Amino acid sequence: MVNATKGLFISCDIPMAQFIVNLNASMPASQKFIIHVLDNTHFFVQPHVAEMIRSAISEFRDQNSYEKPT
Amino acid sequence: MGHGEKGRPSKKLKFAAKDDHRSSTVEDEYSFYPDEGDDASRDGENEGKKRDFSKLELKPDHENRPLWACADGRIFLETFSPLYKQAYDFLIAIAEPVCRPESMHEYNLTPHSLYAAVSVGLETETIIAVLNKLSKTKLPKEMIDFIHASTANYGKVKLVLKKNRYFIESPFPEVLKKLLQDEVIARARIASESAHGSDGFTISKAAGEIETSHDGLLNEAELAAATEEKETHAFEIDPAQVENVKQRCLPNALNYPMLEEYDFRNDTVNPDLDMELKPHAQPRPYQEKSLSKMFGNGRARSGIIVLPCGAGKSLVGVSAASRIKKSCLCLATNAVSVDQWAFQFKLWSTIRDDQICRFTSDSKERFRGNAGVVVTTYNMVAFGGKRSEESEKIIEEIRNREWGLLLMDEVHVVPAHMFRKVISLTKSHCKLGLTATLVREDERITDLNFLIGPKLYEANWLDLVKGGFIANVQCAEVWCPMTKEFFAEYLKKENSKKKQALYVMNPNKFRACEFLIRFHERERGDKIIVFADNLFALTEYAMKLRKPMIYGATSHLERTKILQAFKTSRDVNTIFLSKVGDNSIDIPEANVIIQISSHAGSRRQEAQRLGRILRAKGKLEDRMAGGKEEYNAFFYSLVSTDTQEMYYSTKRQQFLIDQGYSFKVITSLPPPDTGADLSYCHLDEQLALLGKVLTAGDDAVGLEQLEEDADDIALHKARRSMGSMSAMSGANGMVYMEYSTGKHKYPGQGQIKSKPKDPSKRHYLFKRRYG
Repeated sequence: MVNATKGLFISCDIPMAQFIVNLNASMPASQKFIIHVLDNTHFFVQPHVAEMIRSAISEFRDQNSYEKPT
Repeated sequence: MGHGEKGRPSKKLKFAAKDDHRSSTVEDEYSFYPDEGDDASRDGENEGKKRDFSKLELKPDHENRPLWACADGRIFLETFSPLYKQAYDFLIAIAEPVCRPESMHEYNLTPHSLYAAVSVGLETETIIAVLNKLSKTKLPKEMIDFIHASTANYGKVKLVLKKNRYFIESPFPEVLKKLLQDEVIARARIASESAHGSDGFTISKAAGEIETSHDGLLNEAELAAATEEKETHAFEIDPAQVENVKQRCLPNALNYPMLEEYDFRNDTVNPDLDMELKPHAQPRPYQEKSLSKMFGNGRARSGIIVLPCGAGKSLVGVSAASRIKKSCLCLATNAVSVDQWAFQFKLWSTIRDDQICRFTSDSKERFRGNAGVVVTTYNMVAFGGKRSEESEKIIEEIRNREWGLLLMDEVHVVPAHMFRKVISLTKSHCKLGLTATLVREDERITDLNFLIGPKLYEANWLDLVKGGFIANVQCAEVWCPMTKEFFAEYLKKENSKKKQALYVMNPNKFRACEFLIRFHERERGDKIIVFADNLFALTEYAMKLRKPMIYGATSHLERTKILQAFKTSRDVNTIFLSKVGDNSIDIPEANVIIQISSHAGSRRQEAQRLGRILRAKGKLEDRMAGGKEEYNAFFYSLVSTDTQEMYYSTKRQQFLIDQGYSFKVITSLPPPDTGADLSYCHLDEQLALLGKVLTAGDDAVGLEQLEEDADDIALHKARRSMGSMSAMSGANGMVYMEYSTGKHKYPGQGQIKSKPKDPSKRHYLFKRRYG
């Protein structure tokens, strides 16, 4: 029988993929969002996590970028 | 005035010097204008807007004038103006350079910079007149008031060293009284027995004194109106408190900055030293200029001269010493640079071998005769522990002597408390600090203003590049993406201590490094230095690539051998250096630097490393603007993307960017079609490397991972914490206690900080102290 799941397809670079995997692993079991890891740069995830991933990544990137204090 | 809107906040004018411009907050921007309510042209309507300069009156011939002067103390200079050179010389004397890119420089007027200006002999009215002449707009009233306020009290108070005692002198007893009302100064005062006069000040007739210098000083200081009385009032202060007193007198406290000048020509007390510059030592124009600032009126002023690495700081130092012609104490950071300084003295001046001596842990040369040059390290002088009998004698001699010149190399690396110690131990008439980078992450630079003196001269890097005096460096930041496996480990919480090791050992970075080494060795025949702060990475890289390396524990003999091979042999074109190579290792042959790991966000380290390749190479005409070679030196900083390193890297570059350098970003190294023959091409090799990083103990990989930018000399820091422990133990078991503190008691701080740049040296000191 065919099983259909609604989800989100994510495409990113290799390090960010690892970041998302790590994020997923840090969640409690009930909130794990990765449905399937397709390859090094592609995921299939729960449809509602887009914002959460986005904000997590942007926070991570902010930590790694320096702004000259003004 | 689009340049004004870069978003740098203005400061409240009055407090401009208190905060470094970097630390002032955005809020200040709005509180500035309400403070200056008297200026009708810029109230009300301008509030809320960042800056509106449209009300400034443009002079009709503004095109011929090079400056924009803003009411908040900032000055912008057009470098393409025909008057640039003159304007630059003037501005560098009166203002702090903030940012100096190619066509537009930004300067900031601060009380300190104006203090420096008046101390090199510029008068208040001259400053205002010249500034007005150069400015495109009418000088804002605030700026004029500010200059008046900052310079008004200058020259009223003098600090004089007479026969090994410090006196504060002034022709105005009321000024001295005012100073003495200050608690700090009152405490520092030494009541003298011979005090006469109702205030207890020593009153001396300046005219009647042997040292006629004071006459001259008074005339010089135009504000000292009471010159006709020829009476100076003085009180003695505790030598240990000199620094505090000086600090209290600075513009942001009592605002009576003290004049410190040394009339060496008329100093008959101290014996002369017979030394001259050799005829072949011809100072370059900017070296002349910096010296002229120091010796402006025939006397020697204390202060700091800032020149980029490789621009010939030592010649400036030697010239200063041979102009003063008195005993000179020269302080360097380590034994290697002590040797280099001694060599420079002999190279540039006619000093005889028996007049110069080195005092380090390895060579303790006593000096004979009554005047001479002693070259030693900060550590040797400031060392607090027990010394050998021999060095105790030498240090006693250093302490008891009145030095004509105290020459301090690399003043930026020495922590303030070390300076304090050195300066309180040695009595000198004149202090000259030399440095390339007057930045520190811990903001202790401001201390130097009263510890040594104002900044006398700062060269513009890009001008020196254009003049062909230093190499033209291409700076590049190479972005290396993390590999999947390394990044996965990097993100794991349990690896937080290994983060640095993981991003440094990133195989893509390794490959980029290998590619660059091959390219420069084979295609261009360059000499390459690879810098790695992380010892684990240093060893791994050097072993894998089969290149020689030098780090803290490398013995002096081996170092010399490796450096010699690097300089002369055609087979040794690459060396790996740890932090020990940052300062003072003189390797003029190198022209490529690859930086694989660094000391967090230290702007100073970046600039110092760049300095290793700044010494000009090749023929002069090739180097001049428009010559054959556009770039003749290369500076690569390898950065693993998506990691902390990106943050640090950007921060580190700020100093160089402020000097006008630009960093090119290179994203794909090695190029996709090549690199199959480089290391770590295959996944299994990469995984093996990863395993190695992960199994290495936290100590091994985290050694140099510092959380903050501690610019301290590691050695000193370690020693200080040990001192306090022994004091707390209160027992005689000090030896045992101190050995244990270094190793176990402070695993965090001790391990990191006490891992000295040069363990062999520390070992030696320990032996000295305990064995």
